[in-house]
Amino acid sequence: MKGIQAGDSDALSQLYDRYNGILKALILRVIHNETEADDLLQEIFMEIWNQSKNFSAQKGKPLGWMVTLARRRAIDGLRKKQAYARAEERLQNETEQQPDAWVHNATEDEIMLSDTRRLIRKVIMSLPPPQQQAIDLAFFKGMSQREIAAKTNTPLGTVKTRLELGLKKIYDGLKELRDEL
Amino acid sequence: MNFEQFQNQSRLYVIGALEPEELEEFEKARKKFGKKAEDFITKCYALHEAFALSLRPAKSSAAIKERLMAMVKAKKEA
Repeated sequence: MKGIQAGDSDALSQLYDRYNGILKALILRVIHNETEADDLLQEIFMEIWNQSKNFSAQKGKPLGWMVTLARRRAIDGLRKKQAYARAEERLQNETEQQPDAWVHNATEDEIMLSDTRRLIRKVIMSLPPPQQQAIDLAFFKGMSQREIAAKTNTPLGTVKTRLELGLKKIYDGLKELRDEL
Repeated sequence: MNFEQFQNQSRLYVIGALEPEELEEFEKARKKFGKKAEDFITKCYALHEAFALSLRPAKSSAAIKERLMAMVKAKKEA
């Protein structure tokens, strides 16, 4: 990030090579459209280039900053297009096929996971499915507690409890991994 | 709000899941707990990294990087 902040385009090229796959996966998970995800990915890396001076190593690691930025852009894009309902339909259709959906029946053997990813997924998969679902809808779909409650026909208080418990378990489970992230 | 409750709310806050009425209360507690609160919120952003890393990386078209670097070059030259 120091190189990018100094205006070194080679540093951006290296950052892109290292993280484009992770950010693309995140964007795809939100908007479920390959072409739009590619366009958004390009815009996000341009924003990373333009906004690099706003990054502070004291406030976290570069990946965290980029993921926060990418998620916000992807959710904004989803809402601006008012394609929410259509994306939800696609999500419904794709959930069973998508190998990386949290709530699914696919076996881990289907895909080779990196050590870090495997450990993170192990933590996430240890949550009861309703907690996974609530976090999935909040993080990847940008849904509020009320929206999750409506979508899942669940009382608002239950949604809040699921989010709190699930996030705490993930947070605690990640403590050992935190230095690697 | 005690600090344990603030921690619970912080994890919701970083993923944008606090309701408007909770957000107001959260910001008050954030001011009350000061640096301790800011440090904890910063730690909570590791959740963002973790959720992204939990996904299998997706392939992008090579043209995306070419376009990006061309845009950066043009901007530098402007």
